[in-house]
Amino acid sequence: MTRPVVIGLDVGSTTVKAVVVDPETRQILWHDYRRHHTKQADCALDLMVRIGQAFPATSTADIRMFITGSGAGPLCEPLGAKFVQEVNAVTLAVESLHPDVGSVVELGGQDAKIIIFKQNDKTGEKTASCSMNDKCASGTGATIDKCMIKVGLPSEQTAQLQFDPDKLHHVAAKCGVFAETDIVNLVKTGIPSEEIMCSLADAIVMQNLSVLTRGNTLRHKVLLLGGPNTYLPFLQQCWRKRIPETWDERGYAYPKDVPLEELIVVPKNAELYAAYGAVMYGLHETADVGRYQGLDALRSYIQTGRAQRLGKNSGPPLVNDESELTTFIDAYRIPKFQSATFSAGQTVRAVIGLDGGSTSSKAVLMDESGELLLKAYTLSKGNPIQDAKDLLRDLRDRVHAQGATLEVIGFGATGYAADVLEECVRADVNVVETIAHMLSATHYFGDVDVICDIGGQDIKVLFMENGDIKSFKLSNQCSAGNGMLLQAMADQFGLPVTEYAENAFKAQLSPKFNYGCAVFLDTDRVNFQKEGYGKEELLAGLAQVLPKNVWQYVVAVPRLAQLGRRFVLQGGTQYNLAAVKAQVDYIKQRVPDGEVFVHPHSGEAGAIGAAMETLRVVKRRGQSRFIGLQAAIDLEYRAKNDEETKCTFCPNNCSRTFIDAFRPDGTTSRYISGFSCEKGMVESKEAMLEVVAQRKQLMRSYPNMVAYEARKAFQPVPGARPMPAATSSVEDVQTARTFWGTVKRKSFQRAFARSSEAAAQKRKTFRVAMPRVLNMYSTGPFFRTYFEVLGLDPRNVIFSEETTEEMWSEGGKYGSVDPCFPAKVVQAHFHQLFFHAHKERPLDAIFFPILTHVPSFVKNAVDHASCPIVAGTPDVIKAAFTKEQDYFGTRGITYLDPALSFSEPVRMKRRLFEVWKDLLQITEDESDFAAEEAFAALERFDLDVQTKGKAILEQIEADDRLAILVIGRPYHLDPGLNHGIPDEFQQQGYPILSIRSVPKDEAWLSRFFAEDLKSGRITTPLEIGDVWPENYSANSAMKVWAAKFAARHPNVVLLDLSSFKCGHDAPTYGIIDRIVEQSAVPTLGLHDIDANKPGGSIKIRVKTYVHSLKRHQERLEDLTVKKQELARRLDEKRLELLRMKQAELSARQSRDTTLEAQITALAAKVAAYQAPAPEAEPTTQPQLIRLRKKNPEGEVVAL
Amino acid sequence: MPNMNDALNVDAELARFEQEERARLGLDAQVDHWTDSMIDPNFTAKERPHTTLLVGGLTIAHDFLVEGALRGLGYNCRRLECPDNDSLRFGKEFGNVSQCNPTYFTVGNLVKELCRLRDEEGLSAEHIIKHFVFLTAGACGPCRFGMYVTEYRKALRDAGFDGFRVMLFQQTGGLKQASGEELGLPLDPPFFLAIARALFSGDVINALGYRIRPHEVEPGATDRALMQAKQEVYDALHHHKSVVLALRRARKYFKDIKVDRTQAKPKVSILGEFWAMTTEGDGNYHLQEFVEREGGENEIQLLAFLLLYNLWEIRHDTEQRMLLKAADSGKFGLADTDVGLRLAGLWVGELALRGVFQTFAHAVGLTHFTLPDMDEVARVGHSHYNQELRGGEGHMEVAKLMLNVMHNKSHMTLSVKPFGCMPSSGVSDGVQSVITELFPEAIFCAVETSGEGAVNFYSRVQLFLFKARQRAQQEIDAALEQYGITREQAQAFLAGSSYGTALHRAPHVACGSGADLIHEIGPLVGRTRAEQARVHAARLADRTYRLVTDDVRAVYASARKVAPYLPAVARWAASEGLSMVPALTQSLQQNVKQWLTPTPEQQAEVARAEASEAAPAGVVQLRKKVKTALRFKTEQPAAASGA
Repeated sequence: MTRPVVIGLDVGSTTVKAVVVDPETRQILWHDYRRHHTKQADCALDLMVRIGQAFPATSTADIRMFITGSGAGPLCEPLGAKFVQEVNAVTLAVESLHPDVGSVVELGGQDAKIIIFKQNDKTGEKTASCSMNDKCASGTGATIDKCMIKVGLPSEQTAQLQFDPDKLHHVAAKCGVFAETDIVNLVKTGIPSEEIMCSLADAIVMQNLSVLTRGNTLRHKVLLLGGPNTYLPFLQQCWRKRIPETWDERGYAYPKDVPLEELIVVPKNAELYAAYGAVMYGLHETADVGRYQGLDALRSYIQTGRAQRLGKNSGPPLVNDESELTTFIDAYRIPKFQSATFSAGQTVRAVIGLDGGSTSSKAVLMDESGELLLKAYTLSKGNPIQDAKDLLRDLRDRVHAQGATLEVIGFGATGYAADVLEECVRADVNVVETIAHMLSATHYFGDVDVICDIGGQDIKVLFMENGDIKSFKLSNQCSAGNGMLLQAMADQFGLPVTEYAENAFKAQLSPKFNYGCAVFLDTDRVNFQKEGYGKEELLAGLAQVLPKNVWQYVVAVPRLAQLGRRFVLQGGTQYNLAAVKAQVDYIKQRVPDGEVFVHPHSGEAGAIGAAMETLRVVKRRGQSRFIGLQAAIDLEYRAKNDEETKCTFCPNNCSRTFIDAFRPDGTTSRYISGFSCEKGMVESKEAMLEVVAQRKQLMRSYPNMVAYEARKAFQPVPGARPMPAATSSVEDVQTARTFWGTVKRKSFQRAFARSSEAAAQKRKTFRVAMPRVLNMYSTGPFFRTYFEVLGLDPRNVIFSEETTEEMWSEGGKYGSVDPCFPAKVVQAHFHQLFFHAHKERPLDAIFFPILTHVPSFVKNAVDHASCPIVAGTPDVIKAAFTKEQDYFGTRGITYLDPALSFSEPVRMKRRLFEVWKDLLQITEDESDFAAEEAFAALERFDLDVQTKGKAILEQIEADDRLAILVIGRPYHLDPGLNHGIPDEFQQQGYPILSIRSVPKDEAWLSRFFAEDLKSGRITTPLEIGDVWPENYSANSAMKVWAAKFAARHPNVVLLDLSSFKCGHDAPTYGIIDRIVEQSAVPTLGLHDIDANKPGGSIKIRVKTYVHSLKRHQERLEDLTVKKQELARRLDEKRLELLRMKQAELSARQSRDTTLEAQITALAAKVAAYQAPAPEAEPTTQPQLIRLRKKNPEGEVVAL
Repeated sequence: MPNMNDALNVDAELARFEQEERARLGLDAQVDHWTDSMIDPNFTAKERPHTTLLVGGLTIAHDFLVEGALRGLGYNCRRLECPDNDSLRFGKEFGNVSQCNPTYFTVGNLVKELCRLRDEEGLSAEHIIKHFVFLTAGACGPCRFGMYVTEYRKALRDAGFDGFRVMLFQQTGGLKQASGEELGLPLDPPFFLAIARALFSGDVINALGYRIRPHEVEPGATDRALMQAKQEVYDALHHHKSVVLALRRARKYFKDIKVDRTQAKPKVSILGEFWAMTTEGDGNYHLQEFVEREGGENEIQLLAFLLLYNLWEIRHDTEQRMLLKAADSGKFGLADTDVGLRLAGLWVGELALRGVFQTFAHAVGLTHFTLPDMDEVARVGHSHYNQELRGGEGHMEVAKLMLNVMHNKSHMTLSVKPFGCMPSSGVSDGVQSVITELFPEAIFCAVETSGEGAVNFYSRVQLFLFKARQRAQQEIDAALEQYGITREQAQAFLAGSSYGTALHRAPHVACGSGADLIHEIGPLVGRTRAEQARVHAARLADRTYRLVTDDVRAVYASARKVAPYLPAVARWAASEGLSMVPALTQSLQQNVKQWLTPTPEQQAEVARAEASEAAPAGVVQLRKKVKTALRFKTEQPAAASGA
């Protein structure tokens, strides 16, 4: 008999760990740890062989084996091992090794886990409560790895990094893709790598503390496990800073005399805990469980078992045979670019176009005739200025190397880096990427229908009409990172990306990936790998998912043929022929007669566009403002981000970065980034005041009804009647059930019941707070008026503040669920009420009604229901703030969240009285009266907003201009939720309308809905049954109606906002798409807005949309000119006909005086057409919107 | 130019000129605004013979039996297969972005089937649109479920089946069908009765299967019995025979299954979003199968629970509003509603539902199965999850977790929901966090399905199953210890005893079925006949006492509760009941007529036989054959298709 051992194996997403344990002593006898490079089975086999060598005397019969980790499943059977769930394994290891531990935080490559040990008060039993990250937040370790590459920090340096809490920038750590997007932006604005990594660490820690703990507080002592926690000291330091902060904030008692290093511990050999725990688990099992079978079955599984398992569930390969591949490659291979050659002494006059992309930067040299001379490329090294300098130097050196001289006659930039370059090197052109790509594609392929650009991070799809952008779709944060994913996948297999296609074409089958965000795809990849798919198949499968992500996820148009038949593919990803093959197959399958072109300079399409635009601008302007090639190469720059650069113009104190550029001629410039509002654009107070004044002027000129409504919804609404006296009479109803089960109601008159004077006095000082969130945006005036009419001091009716990033980062730590951001942010508003409003002056109650039904103007709707999440949030909040400690009770605040329905006013009145009668000591009459006044106030609020909206609509129609109608849910009025996107358009000179501000006067609306009413499809303009009968969701129904209105009003265009995960908006996407497509209404849809503000992406969208809107406006103006011409031609014709008629009558010796009068009047009118037009009103600026209205005669006059 | 000989019509000339000018200037383009042309599916009685109803969306058993019921009603009907990952891919391609998983799976499943008909069976899209209709359950809010039909229309249109008819059998309404002609799918009492019989028999068969399978000794025996049982009921539904008798016949298949209930099997109560918790395929990663594979016993949620909840909703909403000073309008308002009639109807409905369910359950051998008391469920959950919050399972998820813990109903509660499910992951899970704090002993696992990442999904379930398994083992060990017996002794006692049969259900004491059984047989194992008789006598006395005290009290309490409604019930019976009679009679007459009238082929055969002069003996034989054929006329095609 040999000495028995128990093996624990942990097969993770990136590594395999093994321990050999003595079952008697529980001591680890042997251990090892290695990366598997996606070959889990091979790596496990290798480790097992080594164990065999280390324990030659132990026979197979004396080995038991327990296996854990995400990749463990398929290895269990061949090895004879028993599977142990990872968290269970870790829990058992911790219980065994550290009985005094209160909680564990483990960050792995894919998963993050938190285990909190709690004592059950009833039984005294210690139980472990575990939580794992949801699938939307997986890949923490992988994200850190990817970001280290992006910031260009070598891993040795990262391990030396110290956490500095004073230099942190915004990074969204909710999801790996979001984080990467933010990291790219930080890199591009020149933030030092160390600060970015610290910001990422802080974001990950805060995300875990706020979400993964599910609102629970970590108990001490805390054990930090997993790769990142073990190897990154700055991450450990960050935990040691943030965990005690949450303890202090929540009043958690922890030993303050113990050093933090002992309270928050990183144990030695932390990476082995899961493997060791698997063994501990095994020791609980009976002896027949986990009997090791030897390695033969594992070897056979590696060699043959894999293919058998894949079976029929796999998809087709990328190519079926060699000839198909050859034909494809011949047709689509991008011809190798031949750089221009120069003769010695030649002066090369050319422009440079530069595209500062997310992962790489590209530059092209183009001569005056538009001929492409040279291309240069560099992977991003962390600073856009440095990248640009390197590229320029490269171009210069290549020209000079041939003895020629380079004379740069213009410089243009596009991409992430364009803003900073515009400032530092005075670029002639700062063109938005979409336009640059469009210019480039049309230059090479002329009249095309669709341009699809896939870069490292973004997907841009442009739909063309008459050589210009008709509309466009861009990837959002959730569909970003596709190009990067292909590269990352190649990296994982240790392949250069250039060999991707070659490998993918070898696959005989492929796993069927579902489209989705890069994080989900990576989760899928782990799963398929576990199932046994090999490198080639995974590469092929991932290439095949790319077109799905483009056309199904980003574009979301299943009928591709409707987009046109000439498609251009461009962007760096097109160099990967596997991706091109998948795209071509996908498009050809759906558009059989389609033509697919691959841009000959795929990666440089943006830079070429920038160069072409530079040529145009410089020619037109006659000169360049570029500082010159040598000056740009010699440019010195310094990025600064500290206390000094912090914006102090508002309490947000945005952390800004100043990039100072020192040009060789001695001039300097400063580029400021990182601010969240326009005040941060400047440094001095005077400059800031000027900016604010300009903005106010702008707001006056171009009204923003979204901002107006958001403000007014929470202000007192004047005009409420005072409470009736006790002497006045009131009609009451007595109800009773009859024998037959019916209800009998009997009316009678009686005196109005008033509460006592003492109660009234008490109400004057009663303070009630409500969160400024969700549907309170559409019902705020109701509740404020209700309380004010009952005698509460208006200053004591308090709403939390508007959402800001700071509010969210400070108060977003209580949630146990992860719904849409509008619902999630409510906890931060409660935090603000508890820790600020209540602190200033104590609150008596917080009122946050469950609004099951909300007011809606849509007629004949099935229902006016709220979204279930929005309606249920008050109960979720109650759970979050009473779970561990009662935040209400401890502060003496009463929390009230009754269910109320705006569809049932009678019931609403009864419910309000039931809720408030004791707290406010009111009578039912008082409550009912206040509720009636509240309903009336809501109507007045509506009317006020609509009056202004009507004035704007009539004005723009008269002026032939455009207004942007923002369609969203009520809470998208919150600037913290709409990320100030409406304001961006306001600043571009467009008046902004909200749904509420569109007049609901049916007579006024019938002009636009005349055809629909005539056809009988609808019976009132406020109906949407003709497009959406399942219209029970009030806010969605109002959105759909607004889209219908915009489709019928020539001067209204749309900005469609939806929050990420919005379940009530999702079904309307297709409907709204249909409505706006058929009516050709320009629409910008942002369907995934979330907590973080994707500034770069918003900028591209705003700029591109403004470009589209300008075209639309031109069309409108053309239309007006044509309409005027028609009117003139009709008048002339009528005059001609009337004169003929007159002649006809004269011939019959007859006379018609009315006819003569008509002729005289018309002749005068026709003559007037020839006269010069009267001068425009000199006092008004034509570009401004003046609020006016139409009088009964149809003329637009002052309001 | 107008002809000068005619009187000049200025207006007509001007109109003609305007038309020309508009065309010249490009101003004649009228915007034809989009309207949905698929809103009113029109399915008429005339189309019925050559139209196939596609059904799907419930469990495999339910879909199968609904097919049988609809065939029995004379429809051509075909059920869709259980949605799989290919359905998800179709759903994602043709559905809106950001939909929930059940939408993608169910919508994609229909599109997948239609594409199969087109691409594999070679039917043209026009033919499919004309000859197929999809019938499914629907709702009208408040989560995405209520908008499924919107999604069906979008996906079908985009997949090239513009105009395909989706008929919605609304949860709380009728069938959305506006047609001047005779309805293709009339929602009459026979229709409801047939569907109800299919659904309830599906429920009891499913519940029994999940009760037995984890304990079966021979793997696959339960599945075999389930197949046979479903076929029995299918045939009964198809041929208008008694479902109760069919279930009774099915009972024997289950009775013969060999089981061993002495193993520690953690009981896992599956809650969550309705589709995710009831589907049995890729939509929830074959969750039920996985739990059983991991050694657990599933406690599933039945369709009957949801129907009871729907009845409770209407009753609660009515009672809450009936005594207001005035009746509100709108969906929930009671304007123009006879409150008494409605409440009486609900009471009768609930009584009928419970009665039919229990009759079916007893017939098939599903004994000691208690349908939940919806008032208790609402009461328990209300302080945490407001009863007026609707959507999905409403307050039931929270309340059922509490009841599971309070009443020792299961070792573990597994709440499964699609990624981003609004009522379940958005609200219930948030509230559950306080429940698990209040009941630290609860093993609660909330897990989302997304169609990707089965590894993570299984891993999460295993995480909690580990604890549940430990608890189940402790529970059974404690029970054995309490009675001082070993597992082997218990097994020996059970062998050959009625306690050890598949259909036996021990009274509820502990969480697990095994522990319950040990508690039941513990006092009997190793005892003499006399001692056993004493135990039996004591149990009988206890049961009788409880019947007299608890049950009579409960009956009295419910009689008191119901008494005020009795006059209204009488009115209900007078109005609704009488109006149902003609429809039932008519339906019966139609069936009899159909049964008695020979088909043209049979008539021709008879005529041919009678006209034949040769082989008189053969004529006699043929007449006999035709007579038999006539009697079983409705059964022949059914037998063929049912097989």
